[in-house]
Amino acid sequence: MHELSIAMELVSQIVEAAEANRLPRVDEIELEAGILRLVVPEIMQTAFQEAARETIAAGAALILTEKKAKVRCNQCALVFEPHVDDFTCPKCRIADAKVLEGDQIILKSVSCNLSEGNGK
Amino acid sequence: MNKKIKVNVVKNVLQANDLVAGRNRQVFKENKVFALNLISSPGSGKTTLLEKTIPALKPEHKSIVIVGDLQTTRDADRLSDQAQQAVQINTGMSCHLYANQIAQSLSDIDLKGADFVFIENVGNMVCPGEFDLGENAKVILLSVPEGDDKVAKYPTIFRVADLILLTKVDLLGALDFDLKRVKEDLSKLNAKATLIELSSKTGQGMDQWLDWLKAKRTEGIGRQARFATE
Ligand SMILES: Nc1nc2c(ncn2[C@@H]2O[C@H](COP(=O)(O)OP(=O)(O)OP(=O)(O)O)[C@@H](O)[C@H]2O)c(=O)[nH]1
Ligand SMILES: [Mg+2]
Ligand SMILES: [Zn+2]
Repeated sequence: MHELSIAMELVSQIVEAAEANRLPRVDEIELEAGILRLVVPEIMQTAFQEAARETIAAGAALILTEKKAKVRCNQCALVFEPHVDDFTCPKCRIADAKVLEGDQIILKSVSCNLSEGNGK
Repeated sequence: MNKKIKVNVVKNVLQANDLVAGRNRQVFKENKVFALNLISSPGSGKTTLLEKTIPALKPEHKSIVIVGDLQTTRDADRLSDQAQQAVQINTGMSCHLYANQIAQSLSDIDLKGADFVFIENVGNMVCPGEFDLGENAKVILLSVPEGDDKVAKYPTIFRVADLILLTKVDLLGALDFDLKRVKEDLSKLNAKATLIELSSKTGQGMDQWLDWLKAKRTEGIGRQARFATE
């Protein structure tokens, strides 16, 4: 259910980007979710459509990609891919790692399709 | 002919919140207060714990409380006698606090002379983990009646915790709760976090918790919380 909290932040960024670039509307959004954020794609889709209602992004297609996690062990500096529920370093067997990748949700792009006749 | 205009944004979706959180963190630092974000499921004992903690820190340390709830001012009312100031934020539809709600509260709060700011987040184990408030430490409460499988079910919040309080341990004998399982799951996620077994009812673990608070405050005033973006 945290997807809705995230979607509301997402929509305000989409609206900001669209306005700054004078897009008449938003048809497509690319979003990259780090796997550690545990975003469920189907729920994110629904949450996004809900949050986007009555905004410039209403009905837009949300293209969601997942980013794998990468962490560095604070003990031995080994860089490895953890499981969401297991951060144990394969070398020193201690879960004490700094996340390098996979804990962010990034709005990558916002697009608008202009077909002949409706755009300028 | 179709034309597509694509604007590359590449922005952290939670950036707006994180920016305000960073400013809150600066305010805490300038005022030399130690701010804690208390996160748990509804009813794990956050308010009860604060009812015991704030008087126990006195007269040496003064505390301010900011409480987030969907509705009512009950929790702030429960704490207003003991705290230097208790502020309630009603979040309405939102199941977590935002950094800007804390920023707004801070404009009504006099931090002078205060040592601790306890922020009791809305009862929820998921969303509060996404929204940095500018705190110096995240404290996660897990109460015995919730069950021993919760660490594995909510890995994100336990991974970023600075301290885990296992609350209501007075009920350990009454329930089938495998403490070893909790410790094992936790050790796979976050070997650095401290676990304190605590009961607000019997007082077990209270000294350990108070010592942790004082030590962290001394060591870490202004220190970056582990989830800070910087
Ligand atoms: N047995 C036992 N019960 C406790 C303990 N601490 C709190 N409780 C009870 O648990 C219930 C919920 O406690 P609260 O302190 O209101 O919990 P909370 O986390 O603030 O709840 P929300 O703000 O609604 O999320 C109350 O009935 C408390 O009396 C404890 O250490 N032992
Ligand atoms: Mg409460
Ligand atoms: Zn290692």
